Amino acid sequence: MIYNIEIALKPQLRDAEGSALIKKADTYFGICIQSARSIHMVTIEADIAKDDMERVQREIFTNPVTQVSSLTPGDIDFDWCIWIGFRPGVKDNPGATAMEAIADLLGKSFGPDEGIYTSRRYCLKGENLTRPDVEKLAEQLLSNPIIQRYKIFPRSQWDPVKGADVKPARVILDHIPCFDFIDIDSDQTLARISDQRNLALNARDIPIIRNYFLDPDVLAQRGKMGLSRPTDVELEYISQARSDHCNHNTFNGIFRYKDVLSGEVTIENSLFKTYIQQPTLALKEKKDWVVSVLWDNAGVGEFDEENNYVITGETHNSPSNMEAYGGAITGIVGVYRDPMGTGLGSKLFMGSFGFCVGDITYDGPLKPPLHPRRLLDGVVEGVKDGGNKSGVPTTFGQTLFDPGYMGKSLVFVTALGIMPKQVAGRPSHEKKTSPGDLIIMSGGRVGKDGIHGVTASSESFSENTPAGHVQIGDPYTQKKMHDFLLVCRDEGLIRFITDNGGGGLSSSIGESAMISNGCMVHLDKVPLKYEGLDMWEIWVSESQERMTIAVTPAHLDRFMALSTEHGVESTVIGEYTDSGKLHILYHDKTCAYVDMDLLDKGFPAWEFDAVWLPPETRGLCEPVIRSPKDVNRLLIAMLEQPNICSKEWIIRQYDHEVQGGSVIKPLVGVNHNIPSDASVTRPVLTGKKGLAFSQTLLPWYSKIDAYHMMTCTIDETVRRLIAVGGSFAHIGGVDNFCWPNIAYDAQSNPDGTFKAAQLVRACRALKDACVAYEIPLLSGKDSMYVDGHLEGAFGERIKVSALETVQFSATSVIDDVMCCLTLDPKASGDYIYVAGTTADELGGSEYYDMFGKTGRNVPRVNFAANKILYKTVEKAIGLEIPASCHGIARGGLGVHLALMAMAGGLGMEIDLSQVPAGASDLADEVLLFSESAGRFILTLAPDQAPLFEKLCKGLPVCRAGTVKAKEDSLKIKGTRGDTIVNLSSQTLADAFNKPFGDMIWNR
Amino acid sequence: MEQVKALILTGFGLNCDNETALAFELAGAQSHRVHINALIAKKVRLADFHILALGGGFSWGDDHGAGVIQAVKLKNHIGGDLLSFVEQGKLVIGICNGFQTLVNLGLLPGLDKDYTRRSVAITYNDCGSFRDQWVHLAAAPESPCVFTKGMQAAEFPVRHGEGKFIADPDVVSALFTGRQVVFQYANEKAHPAEGVFPLNPNGSVQDIAGICDPTGRIFGLMPHPEAYNHVTNHPDWTRQKQMQIRSKKAFGMQDTKGIQLFRNGVDYIRERVL
Repeated sequence: MIYNIEIALKPQLRDAEGSALIKKADTYFGICIQSARSIHMVTIEADIAKDDMERVQREIFTNPVTQVSSLTPGDIDFDWCIWIGFRPGVKDNPGATAMEAIADLLGKSFGPDEGIYTSRRYCLKGENLTRPDVEKLAEQLLSNPIIQRYKIFPRSQWDPVKGADVKPARVILDHIPCFDFIDIDSDQTLARISDQRNLALNARDIPIIRNYFLDPDVLAQRGKMGLSRPTDVELEYISQARSDHCNHNTFNGIFRYKDVLSGEVTIENSLFKTYIQQPTLALKEKKDWVVSVLWDNAGVGEFDEENNYVITGETHNSPSNMEAYGGAITGIVGVYRDPMGTGLGSKLFMGSFGFCVGDITYDGPLKPPLHPRRLLDGVVEGVKDGGNKSGVPTTFGQTLFDPGYMGKSLVFVTALGIMPKQVAGRPSHEKKTSPGDLIIMSGGRVGKDGIHGVTASSESFSENTPAGHVQIGDPYTQKKMHDFLLVCRDEGLIRFITDNGGGGLSSSIGESAMISNGCMVHLDKVPLKYEGLDMWEIWVSESQERMTIAVTPAHLDRFMALSTEHGVESTVIGEYTDSGKLHILYHDKTCAYVDMDLLDKGFPAWEFDAVWLPPETRGLCEPVIRSPKDVNRLLIAMLEQPNICSKEWIIRQYDHEVQGGSVIKPLVGVNHNIPSDASVTRPVLTGKKGLAFSQTLLPWYSKIDAYHMMTCTIDETVRRLIAVGGSFAHIGGVDNFCWPNIAYDAQSNPDGTFKAAQLVRACRALKDACVAYEIPLLSGKDSMYVDGHLEGAFGERIKVSALETVQFSATSVIDDVMCCLTLDPKASGDYIYVAGTTADELGGSEYYDMFGKTGRNVPRVNFAANKILYKTVEKAIGLEIPASCHGIARGGLGVHLALMAMAGGLGMEIDLSQVPAGASDLADEVLLFSESAGRFILTLAPDQAPLFEKLCKGLPVCRAGTVKAKEDSLKIKGTRGDTIVNLSSQTLADAFNKPFGDMIWNR
Repeated sequence: MEQVKALILTGFGLNCDNETALAFELAGAQSHRVHINALIAKKVRLADFHILALGGGFSWGDDHGAGVIQAVKLKNHIGGDLLSFVEQGKLVIGICNGFQTLVNLGLLPGLDKDYTRRSVAITYNDCGSFRDQWVHLAAAPESPCVFTKGMQAAEFPVRHGEGKFIADPDVVSALFTGRQVVFQYANEKAHPAEGVFPLNPNGSVQDIAGICDPTGRIFGLMPHPEAYNHVTNHPDWTRQKQMQIRSKKAFGMQDTKGIQLFRNGVDYIRERVL
């Protein structure tokens, strides 16, 4: 029986969804819709009697106060109707919860031929609406062909009985599952098959793979299992394991680095080992608080006597570029599984985001898969649903714009968890699989979604990239699993746990079985979304919200009972062994049987040529810009720049205080709308300690030298932590690299060697900064193909590469949150100090960018000097001397004074001649807009000044002004004594809030 | 002395259970986080508790209206237990998703002592999106609400996409007549916001942020009092601290307004029920 329930708001009620559509149609396309009403549709294909269905309709789907519903097409007038529904197989979260609700209400279980599918239709009225208009809305606003379908009905073609004629979006594969044997008679054959099957095998890996399978001993052993040539399951396993995503071939590759100026050549044998692993392990020896790094799903640091915190960061770029909402929600829900799968499992307590997108006002000829504006809308919403519905506060985040990200936009997501140091008498950060442990898969089911996600994200997007790997995360299912697993953990039921992310079971079981040295997996036991998946598909599917857990047989009953109580599906799918073999069966027939140490069989490292062209050899020099005469207008224009202006509309959509531990929020100041330097959270509500968290993105400096991009990024992250009260002695780092392709190819990637050199330099800088500031890298990831090939006006495809980008995240533990600080000046009469030296370092700055210039004087970090200053500021904050503290960042002193004035809602008077400067003759615009690292603005009560000045003796810290009253303005005196800026905080706020102001209120 | 026992529901996407439990503990109660299924399976008996808290979160993803499926499930399995809990003079508080659930159960507003009728709704914010923001609240001094006794104003965060309170005009006026409107969104002087955004963050009619039943023992509100469990939760705390320091006063020694709200409930049980 098929039922279609149509649900609409009562006509007298405002339809927020319809209003949003009207507004976007107008602002995005200039299409005028007079009225828009949305109808939610639930298509139920199930054996349910009519009166039961009416009960379902009444109790679940109709709010008597707000809604009307019917089992026939609703009668809402329109000129045009657009119906949007998911394609079969796309995750339909409301469909799944509807099924759960109906099952519970009617006490019914749904069979494999039954299902529930949700869709929507929009009833539009508009005298001038044309079919092309309506098609545009359907295609470019309401649906994405990768995951959705649409139908358009003009009034004249509407059949009031059939309505939108919605059919269940059931997946019917009509396929008998099987596995194949693959020919390996020559390297060429295997390479061809690799291409055909999207295995993405590296050409240099192919002989190793063939040698293994042709080895007589291997053949003999496999023969006993009925196997000879490799199966598709086995080759998929190798493909996943050897992908750049899983194996980090780039960071473990060999780089021949040549500096063209000096002619010097150096060989880098592994960027990871040299610049990440070695310094981090050395710091681990030195820092007691570093608990577990470099092996698990996330790094672990000590939080307090009883608890450790867990952190990791990820990107989800390629999927977000094709389906922004789905990609972003899958990204954040996915990264949240990492802390859940770290040690014996941690409880999530915060997350953050970083969005890098193209120009959202772009109207040129290039055609990205999604326009940057639509893409941003989608990723904002994806992280909103993913984060909020996970019950995890999103306490920090940044959004930035650059044309390079139109080729591929970046979506960074970071996750932090907390866990007791001891769980059921064992250290929580340790775990292992042992022979005899059962392999359990918990959470979601497996479908075709996400197949080849890993190998696809390791390639740049092309016309042929399969769209099937786009998914939609399901935070509800995962939240249930999260709560369930914490109970299991505390009862000591978990021996080992890891998440199913990239590579699916192939990665999670493949890697965890290395510990016990073997496994036997029964793929026919894996619960599927629908029948008809081949073995290899089950093995590598990246269907979301799944964890792999090792449980001893003695604990199985308790584990399963808890699973049932929490409404989580868990299934035993195999067991860990010590056979030395990865053994996969399907209905007792072996479909994979390879050695666990197969991946150690001498697979070659990747090799790269890296050629460094120093900025001077690239013709970079300082632009010639005479001093601006109207600094007032200039400062206003800076505040309106997309990369400076308020992003409040995004941050407010994210719950940043669920779990009750919010100390320093992402937005601060009297009007709660100025971005904070960092966030502070109390993950343990009964304690005094807080966890400070900050992130930085400064990709623009890569235009000059990625070395300085990296050092400045890290320096700013540290500065941000110090500004809120962080401790210099405890800074944990997370590096997320996003790089354009570095593999040289004369045709397709002619500047690959330069980008490779930039990568080497960024890694060197990473080590230099981390050693100088004693930052162990608790976690890190890389995404190496941030390029796009966009179609242009004439059918040509132009490669657009993102800037070499690193998001650096850092944590610090604060002993007493009552000492934390925000950036808003608190009282008139307070003194203003500027700390740290301003130098002529406008290279890559926002100021130059205003004029379309790059320059060459990129900021250089003086680690030694900054370290002393940071420790001094930390000490002053610990003594509760300053009333406010703010790190000077993008936009320089001028922009950050303005932010403070707005935050305090107070006037500020500053004398630029008092600002500590690297040279005596710096022009006012250099002092105002240079982005030199290592600087703060602080305010404090006059009676604190003597103590503060004593603390800062010998340091570049000068009193440069005074906080004024509410009615006073921001007044900046230039070095020649003239007032160059005089702007009220209201004027500043108007400029700062203008660009995205109307995004907050959707009326 | 017998302990005041509070049951905080967990599971199915609820997410404020830990801090709600903590808030009740700070207010002097003994908190028990209990999975909805444990209650349904009678592993835990509702009758053994004095206060039932339905907290914030996204039960069943809020996919079919916030709190709707939770309400259907509770009614279907333990509807009778809930009604007898209420009849025994015990307390129920619903915060955010819990408030949405209470109105879908009909436990609120409970006009004419009918605890099964859905006569008010909490629907999509007028601003068109989820919003996290601290709000000023004006409390009705004559309200019978147990939790807000002695309270004139409060500040808590709202964090919802569906917080707009709507009902027919006669229902709204009955709520005001019965002093059942407990909290209204307001300006910093505790005057109702009169619909002005963002003081009224969602477009609720008559700025309604929280209501109680006629007895004052069932209370639902959109803002999150449990999110103000510590002085540092307040968005202005660093400024408040500076002002206190400068007038040589101690800072952060008193209960927050959030904890006071829970303490009112706990004290009521101690005085009237135990």
